[in-house]
Amino acid sequence: MRNSGRLGTFLSLLKRVCGMPDYHGYLAHMREKHGDCAVLSEREYFEQHMQVRYGSGVSRCC
Amino acid sequence: MHRILWLFVSAVGAAAWGVIALRRGETINAAWLVLAAVGTYLVGYRFYSRFLARKVLGVDPSRATPAERINNGRDFVPTTRYVLFGHHFAAIAGAGPLVGPVLAMQFGWLPGTLWLVFGVVLGGAVQDFVILFGSMRRDGKSLGQMAKEEIGPLTGGLAMVAILAIMIILLAVLALVVVNALKDSPWGVFSILCTIPIALGMGFWMKVIRPGKTIEATVAGIVLLLAALVGGRYVAESPSLAPLFTHGGVTIAWGMMAYGFLASVLPVWMLLCPRDYLSTFMKIGTIVLLALGILWVRPDLQMPALTRFIDGTGPVFAGKLFPFAFITIACGAISGFHALVASGTTPKMIRRENDARLIGYGGMLTESFVAIMALCAAAALDPGIYFAINAPLGALGGTVENAVLRIREWGFVVTPEQLTGLAAMVGESSLLGRVGGAPSLAVGMAAIFSGVFGQHLMGLWYHFAIMFEALFILTTIDTGTRVGRFMLQELLGHVWSPLGRTSWYPSSLFAAFLIVAGWGWFLIQGVTDPLGGINSLWPLFGITNQLLAAVALCVGTTLIIKSGKVRYAWTTLVPLVGLLVVTLTAGWQKIFAADPRLGFLSHAREIAARIAAGSQDAGVGARLIFNDRMNAVLAAFFMATVVALVVASALEWLAVTRGRKPATTREALYVESAYAK
Repeated sequence: MRNSGRLGTFLSLLKRVCGMPDYHGYLAHMREKHGDCAVLSEREYFEQHMQVRYGSGVSRCC
Repeated sequence: MHRILWLFVSAVGAAAWGVIALRRGETINAAWLVLAAVGTYLVGYRFYSRFLARKVLGVDPSRATPAERINNGRDFVPTTRYVLFGHHFAAIAGAGPLVGPVLAMQFGWLPGTLWLVFGVVLGGAVQDFVILFGSMRRDGKSLGQMAKEEIGPLTGGLAMVAILAIMIILLAVLALVVVNALKDSPWGVFSILCTIPIALGMGFWMKVIRPGKTIEATVAGIVLLLAALVGGRYVAESPSLAPLFTHGGVTIAWGMMAYGFLASVLPVWMLLCPRDYLSTFMKIGTIVLLALGILWVRPDLQMPALTRFIDGTGPVFAGKLFPFAFITIACGAISGFHALVASGTTPKMIRRENDARLIGYGGMLTESFVAIMALCAAAALDPGIYFAINAPLGALGGTVENAVLRIREWGFVVTPEQLTGLAAMVGESSLLGRVGGAPSLAVGMAAIFSGVFGQHLMGLWYHFAIMFEALFILTTIDTGTRVGRFMLQELLGHVWSPLGRTSWYPSSLFAAFLIVAGWGWFLIQGVTDPLGGINSLWPLFGITNQLLAAVALCVGTTLIIKSGKVRYAWTTLVPLVGLLVVTLTAGWQKIFAADPRLGFLSHAREIAARIAAGSQDAGVGARLIFNDRMNAVLAAFFMATVVALVVASALEWLAVTRGRKPATTREALYVESAYAK
């Protein structure tokens, strides 16, 4: 599924609000800022994201 | 033009407060409460938070945030402010703002409303904003680190111990809320149990089958969750299946401990992460649904503005209006726990400095709004029904007939048919004595949703609300146990360094075991308490949460004073003093009050007297006495810790204001923001 157009924007928003990995956003970031670097695959990005988000414990309030 | 708009907003808010003030003794519509609250939030946001941002904190939009400077595409990511607002809100809002206002309803709806609205504008939102800003200026440092660097190493250590202790009480009391909602409820137990295989399946999907496809896994998870909810009704009605899922409180409590332990040591992708996604989706969806439902139905508030129980004789929990209304409602008015979130992931994602105002101050206002909605849903219940659900079974006399008589003595009318009829409608055998707030909120929410969609779905809505609350309480339990485990490992690492290695499995298992044993001990104590447990544990939780807020406000005041703004230090000092008065009074009363319903020590003495008189089993009595003494020691420990922290901070403030120490803080250096150009 190509996430493009309005649905893509909405999904990207939803993912970021819920703290989910936004792979398309990451790809865009890499293209824009580090065009010459190798990018992670979707699987690698997901695992890295989980490590960052939950690795040292995520605070959830009461 | 803007002025006219704000004049209008202020006028609407003031008019709504006027209606509330003048219509005493008549029933009032929930819409007035919502209008008054929203009007006050908007005025508070527009004027007070701008004053905080400009004058007190010195927010500087030209200064690059850590997200912009470090921007590593992982945790430091500049994020649009509305997205980050949603993200932050989802992290701070949990079961607290839903449960506290429901319990405090025993005083009537007025005290809770006033405390929620004015407490948040002048206290809670200020705390969140100041800590978020402080952490943002220090590259996302945690509350404990800021306390250590700005006040002193001893203070930092004390803050860490206090944070760990509050975690344990918090987890126990939230677990108790779930146990009370699920005991003897096959429908509830079935649908909650189903969340575990659903989460495992989602995790497997995202990790192995289609790596990283989080949205499709979550959508499938939600569909399955709703199917489990509908399926629960058939389980509850099936004579062969229902007994398999009907369990008493103690069994469910042990099950939750086993779950908490496993979830905190298993890899995050198996349970923690999928459950986190599920509960975030459900949380945002249900809160929006509840807001629309209340606006659509606009229920009349059946509860009086003030009840006779402001004198401290109420059945839901002991203690007078002052200080216990301010303890019972913590989240939604001011919540110390937020300081941990506001100094966690959020400050690392702020794009522009001036966004912190919407995210920190505005996020907390939104949580307060959620609490107001929970309050409206509970106040829309018939008071007789409210007390039948929320008073402990012991106080109600056990049976429906006794409960009706007892509630009549309290001055509210309810018939046996009403109680049994309502229980049958929501698919439970009985709703009597389901203490903890969640069941009565679920009844209130079910009534509101039924008002929109029709009465025949009442049972489904009730269990939907129960599942929604249980889902994110369980998420708090697994994330909380894990965070507690990391903190404990860090502390234990000072004793013997291998224990501090979070990647070393024996150390992780050991620390997770200790944390679960800690909250499990309080949980079992609450479940087996003849008065329902909420009675003693919720106030203890409120006190610890508010004391953590006091710690956060101490840190906030220090940051303000050290940045040379002594003249504005009152913005955090006033809420700090208020909180200290409330919590220290409440703590003192919980320990020393002569009324055995209120004071831990006098309750222990009463049990001892009953054992001596032969009217109390000695074994059970000895355990109750031990629990009371333990709770008293714990409350005393919290109070002493906070007093020590306040004294240490005050000495630091004096040193700065007297000129003995330079007024400098450890902010990251100024870099100009590219967004400002």
